[in-house]
Amino acid sequence: MTDQLVRIGFLGVAHLHSVSYANSLLALAGVEVVGIWDRSENLAADWSARLGVRHFASVESLLAEGLDAVVVCSENIAHRPLVEQAAGRVKAILCEKPIATTMEDAHAMIACCRAANTRLQIAFPVRFAPSVVELKRQLDAGLLGEILTLNCTNHGSMPGGWFIDPALAGGGAVLDHTVHVIDVLRWLWRVEVTEVYAEIGDSLLHPDLGIDDAGLLSFTLSNGVYGTLDTSWSRPSSYPIWGDVKLEILGERGVVYADTLHQYVTVASNAAGKTQWAGYGSDMDRGLIADFIDMVRSGRHPSITGEDGLAAMEVALAAYASARSRQPVKLPIS
Amino acid sequence: MQRIGVIGTGSIAAVHLDGWRCMPGIELVGYYDIVPEAADRAAQRYGGRVFATLDELFDAVDIVDICSPGTAHKENVLAAAAAGKSIICEKPLARHLADAVEMVETCERLGVPLFPAQVVRFFPMYSRVKERIDAGAIGKPAVYRSARCGSFPRPGRDFSAPYYADFNQSGGVVLDVAVHDIDFARWCCGEVERVFARGLTFAGKEFHDHALITLRFVSGAIGHIEVSWSHPRTTFRTRVEVAGDSGLMEWDSLDRPPLLAEMYNDQQGFQRMGSSPTADEDEPYYAELAHFVDVIEGRATPRVTARDGLEAVRVALAAIESMRTGQPVAMQDFGG
Repeated sequence: MTDQLVRIGFLGVAHLHSVSYANSLLALAGVEVVGIWDRSENLAADWSARLGVRHFASVESLLAEGLDAVVVCSENIAHRPLVEQAAGRVKAILCEKPIATTMEDAHAMIACCRAANTRLQIAFPVRFAPSVVELKRQLDAGLLGEILTLNCTNHGSMPGGWFIDPALAGGGAVLDHTVHVIDVLRWLWRVEVTEVYAEIGDSLLHPDLGIDDAGLLSFTLSNGVYGTLDTSWSRPSSYPIWGDVKLEILGERGVVYADTLHQYVTVASNAAGKTQWAGYGSDMDRGLIADFIDMVRSGRHPSITGEDGLAAMEVALAAYASARSRQPVKLPIS
Repeated sequence: MQRIGVIGTGSIAAVHLDGWRCMPGIELVGYYDIVPEAADRAAQRYGGRVFATLDELFDAVDIVDICSPGTAHKENVLAAAAAGKSIICEKPLARHLADAVEMVETCERLGVPLFPAQVVRFFPMYSRVKERIDAGAIGKPAVYRSARCGSFPRPGRDFSAPYYADFNQSGGVVLDVAVHDIDFARWCCGEVERVFARGLTFAGKEFHDHALITLRFVSGAIGHIEVSWSHPRTTFRTRVEVAGDSGLMEWDSLDRPPLLAEMYNDQQGFQRMGSSPTADEDEPYYAELAHFVDVIEGRATPRVTARDGLEAVRVALAAIESMRTGQPVAMQDFGG
């Protein structure tokens, strides 16, 4: 099975994760990255030169190569048309998070892939971080007893580019950084978010940014646990690392502090002009990609489904609705 | 020379007395406690005399330091104010908002200084955070986060535990503990506009209390405060982080202390001992009490006022109200 060649294409490489996914793919035996397409020819040419991969002038010309799977790493707003175009033409699609920017788009993508018998997976690499895998093992073993509450953060630096263009991103820090942690929580306990309240800041950390850059979500889960998540792009450019993914989990028997990026060497460099934390943690994207390729080859169901992507996105959309109405919002909202 | 009288001689009084005992320019005159044996123990340990009535204590002192349980604060403050004494009152100022309002307004009317002992403003890492904000290091504060997490005050382990464990007396972890973080958050970010909170206060879990409080400030900034009486007894964990529009500051008690010893003990076991010592005058409670004396003697303007104490109570009670109703509470309309 492992020798069966898997031929992959990239539809959109505007998301920075595409480079990391490509590097993971290129390192795997029996995987060929056939080519890429991006709506920006300059980006496609640049990306193609850096990674030594052909770039195609149209989505159609790339799909015509006869691919096994595609990776969709476009701007958020283009996930739906690209997934719809690839559905039925490939066995499987790996779509960058968030799955989409509206419930309607997400439902349409899931329905389209189901009808076309194309398996849709959403890219939530945090599930593959070894510290998160070990956290799940400890929780499954009942380490903390009954879970009481969660205090989570997914901080980041302001990413710039299309991420701060509402017409392309569909949302700022709250959409960008709600989905990773919510997906992990859904995965840890097989629960859903049942209610969310949010305080969101537009251009709060970055004057005149024109999109939300700060968010505090307060939620309850279907198992009765309540928690909070800080999605803010609150790491300034002078900070030693881009951001964090932290979960503090309090249970009857104690507390676990999970800080998934806290594996780093401190580097003080005059050239960089600041102190930096050079991470040495295992590459979670590598685990995500290996799992995806295994799914493509084996024909099994995706480990992270379109429905998982939709549920995580839905929490972010509910958070925006809560901030607008200044009221808690019940889920599901659809 | 200021003559000090202490009302209430429980656990927090001991911390104050450690400060008063080594402070120059003050005389520790004595104590009043409704439990006379407790006052006797304080007198034996720290010197000074035991007063049989509040009036006798008032006659002998300049500053009244109120360390009684929160439920007794109002009666103690009103009595001291009527006697014209300068007043230091432990936090929270009162269990109920109307009581706190009456205390503050009475002291203002009588021209008596009332200092709420909201000591976090005197913890050196917190006062450094505030100083750096004022110096413009992070620009305008935008996202505030802090935490104060410890174990439940279990009856039998601590003299005052039955008081803390009774929500009707103490107000639980939000009124007793979150007032510190609310006060510090207000110092950094200004007035609170809206509060939302979820927690365990009304969850009916014995020996548990906890809350996650979400704040919106009038400035537009947002804030998050975790307070816990549900953490394991191994550590008392505090942290603070303030992100502004041009920088970030953070401090976490889980970080390595300046002094850390790891060693074998006599039972063939293992022991880990961390500490972060300060000079006597920088110890937060000492610094707080010394500051209040400086204000009374005209050498300083107050770092924390009676109105700050009142507003900390008001926001904490709003958080409790939000936990009770599941709805956000607008501070403008909130009257307890």
